[in-house]
Amino acid sequence: MIRVTNLVKFHGQTPILNGATLEVAKGQVAALVGPSGSGKSTLLRCVNGLEAFQEGEIAVGDALKLTGGSAPPKATLLALRRTVGMVFQQFNLFPHMTALKNVMSGPVHALGKPEAEAEVTAKALLARVGLADKHDAKPAQLSGGQQQRVAIARALAVDPAAILFDEPTSALDPKMSAEVMRVIDDLADDAALQVAMVIVTHDLAAVRRIADVVHVLGSGKVTFSGPPDEAFAPNGPAADLL
Amino acid sequence: MGTRWLVVALVLALAAPAGAQEKPLLRWGGDRNGGAPYIFEAADGKLTGFEVEFAEYLARELGRTPRFVQNQWDNLPDLLKRGDIDVVLNGYEFTKERHDDTPSTVPYYVYSLRLIVRQNEPDVFSWSDLGRQTEPKRVGVLRGSASQRYLEGRFGNKVRIEGSETVTEMLDLVQAGQVDVTVQDAPAAAYYVTPERYPGLKVVDEPAGYGYYVLLTRPDDAELREKLNAAIRKAVSSGWLKQLYQKYGLWNPAQQRLSYLAGQPWPEAAAEFATDDAGYAPPDPPKLSGILDKLLTAAAYTILLAVASFPIAMAIGLVVAVGRVYGPWPVRALFTIYVEVLRGTPLLLQLFVIFYLPSQLSKIEGWEWMSALALNKWAAAIIGLALNYSANEAENYRAGLMAVPKGQMEAALALGFTKWAALRYVILPQAFRIVIPPVTNDFIALFKDTAVCSTVMIVELTGLYYAYKVYPNLVLELALAVGLLYLLMSYPTAVLARWFERRLALTKEGGAR
Repeated sequence: MIRVTNLVKFHGQTPILNGATLEVAKGQVAALVGPSGSGKSTLLRCVNGLEAFQEGEIAVGDALKLTGGSAPPKATLLALRRTVGMVFQQFNLFPHMTALKNVMSGPVHALGKPEAEAEVTAKALLARVGLADKHDAKPAQLSGGQQQRVAIARALAVDPAAILFDEPTSALDPKMSAEVMRVIDDLADDAALQVAMVIVTHDLAAVRRIADVVHVLGSGKVTFSGPPDEAFAPNGPAADLL
Repeated sequence: MGTRWLVVALVLALAAPAGAQEKPLLRWGGDRNGGAPYIFEAADGKLTGFEVEFAEYLARELGRTPRFVQNQWDNLPDLLKRGDIDVVLNGYEFTKERHDDTPSTVPYYVYSLRLIVRQNEPDVFSWSDLGRQTEPKRVGVLRGSASQRYLEGRFGNKVRIEGSETVTEMLDLVQAGQVDVTVQDAPAAAYYVTPERYPGLKVVDEPAGYGYYVLLTRPDDAELREKLNAAIRKAVSSGWLKQLYQKYGLWNPAQQRLSYLAGQPWPEAAAEFATDDAGYAPPDPPKLSGILDKLLTAAAYTILLAVASFPIAMAIGLVVAVGRVYGPWPVRALFTIYVEVLRGTPLLLQLFVIFYLPSQLSKIEGWEWMSALALNKWAAAIIGLALNYSANEAENYRAGLMAVPKGQMEAALALGFTKWAALRYVILPQAFRIVIPPVTNDFIALFKDTAVCSTVMIVELTGLYYAYKVYPNLVLELALAVGLLYLLMSYPTAVLARWFERRLALTKEGGAR
C-alpha cells in the first residue's frame, strides 16, 4: 500500500532522514516510534507530499509515485492526498466552519460530492467518533479531544486508503488523549474498515495495544520493523523508549 | 494644497529678515496658477501681470516694499484674516457681504463676465441660450467666483455649475469636451481665448454681470485702507491705471466708471451700478435653508463615490494580495510595484493625472489621440479612488492571508483540496474575518477622502463647502452641517462593522485569537 524506499531529506545542511525504508500493507496498523528529532513526523509529511525530499522514492498503491529531488506533478499530488489522509497534532480544524461542515468539507470541496450525500456520511462519522450532538458547534466551542475526534472524522470522510496520524494526542491532556485513542483503537479494531493507519506517537502503551507492526526510527533510518512484542521486549530495539 | 502652505510658510520665513529693512512690507496675496493676465510668470520666470505692477505702484505710494504671497485663490481671504498677508489683490469682486467681512478699497477695475464656448458648440450662442436647454449645460466657473454667483442667480437649476481651482484647468476641460461652456472674467477671457492659446474656444455674446475688482483688507486696518484708497484714486485721476490697462489690452469704455466712482463715497456708490446691461441684479447671498437640497445632493454624491469605488478597490485588492502571497515571482514583482506606486503617491495627484492629464497632453501636436482618454468626472473620480484604495486593501488582505496559520492550508491540501479550493473555502474566509477592522477603517477613510473629488469638479460635501464658503454669513453653519453629515455617514458604518465582526468571530470570546 505505502512503500518508502531509501528516503533522504535535508533541512538546509542538516540531515533529517538518511535512507529510511519501510512498507505498510493494506489495512495494516503501523506505528512509527523513535526518540524526538528522529524524523518521524517529517517522514509522515513526506508521504503526504507536504514536504519535498532529496532522494529515494515513495510509492502509494500501484500508480502513485513521488521521486526525490523532483517536484511531483500537481495531478499526482492531488491523487496521492485523496488516497492518503492526515490527522495533525494541532487538529487544524477550519475555525469558520461547524463540526459538520468540517467533516463535509473534503467530500464537497475536494471530491465535488453533492452536499446532501456528504451530510449523511458526515453525520454517521460524527456519531462514530461520539460527537453526534455537536454538529453545529464551531471548533472554538469544542474541547481539544473533541476537536481531534472531528479531525479524525474529517480525514475518514474522503474515504482514504490510508490515514497518517502525526502525534494525534501530544497536544492533549491524559483524559482527552484517552478519548481520542479510544476512537483510534476502535478504527484499528474494525475489521470491515480497510484503512491502513500509520501512527506517530509517544503513547507506547497504545502502540502495543493496536499496532500490527512497529517501525523504529533512529538517526534518520528505520532500524527495526516487526511486531510490538518483539520491539518492546527487554533489550529489544524499542526497549529504551519505554 | 499642502505644498502651497509650505510655500506660504517659506515666504513668511523669508519675510522676517526683510522686515529689518527700512521700508515696511506690503504683503499682498494672490494666486499665480493659471493667473494671466493678473499674476503670472513671464518666460524668464519673473512674476508679471497687471496686478503685479499695480501692487508695486501701491507699495511705492505707501512707502512700503511689496511682497507677493502665493496661495490658492479661494483661500486668500482666510489668509488675510489670519494675518499672514496685509491685503488680497487678485481679481476679488466687490460684494456687500464680503465687504462686511473683509472691508474693500475703492475699485481698481470694472470687470465683466464673458461666455466662452467651443468653436463647434451647437446650442449656446448667447447668455439666454443657457436658460433654454432641455438638458442643462455643464457650465464651468472658477470656484467661488462672481461667475458662479451670477450663473446661480440668473439661471438657477437650468445650468449645471462645475467649479475648478484655476482658469486654465477649466479652459482645458472645455476644449477637451469634459465641460460644455465656461464663464470667466473678461481679462482672463481676453488673454487666453486667442487662436494661439486656445484655438478650440471662442467668446460669444456681449459681456454681462459687471462688477468691481477691489482690494480686501482686515476690518481694523482702517488707516491702511485710507492710504490705499488715496493711492488708487490718484492712479485713476492721473491716468496711470489707464496706461496700465492699455498696456495689457484691458482698457475699455466701462473703465470710465472708475473716474466717477473715485469721487463718490465707498462702498455706498457700488449700488449705483447694481444691475447689468441685461437688467439682471445680483441676488441676495444664500442661506443654509436655501441650499439644503444642494447639501443633501452633495451628501448623496459622497455616498455614491464611496459606495461605488470601494467594492472595486476590494476586488482589485484581493487579486493583488493573493497574487503577492501565492503567485509566481513575475506576478509578485508586478503587484509589488503596483502597490508601492499607488500607496506611495498622493491620491490628489493620481486623481489629477487621471482627470486632467489626457486633455492637457492632447494639446501637444501628435498627442491629440489622448483626448479619447479624457474621462468624465464621475468615471475619473471612481477609478481614481478605487485604484488608490486597492493598494491599501491589497496590503490588508495580504496581512490577513499571512495571519491564517500554515496548518490550515496543510489540512486542506491533505484532504485533497486544490490550492485554489483551499484558498477559496479555507484561507480567504478566515483572512476576510481577520481584516474586517482595517477594511472598515479604510472604508470610513475613503468616505472622507471622497473630498478630493472636488478637484475634479464633483460637488460632494467638501466641494459644496468650498463653493459656498465665499459667503461669510454661511461659512460657520455650513462647516458644521458638512461635518455633521460626514459623521452621520461614517459612524453607522463603524457600528455596522463592529456588529459584523462579532457575528463572524472565530472564537467564543469574539476577540483576538
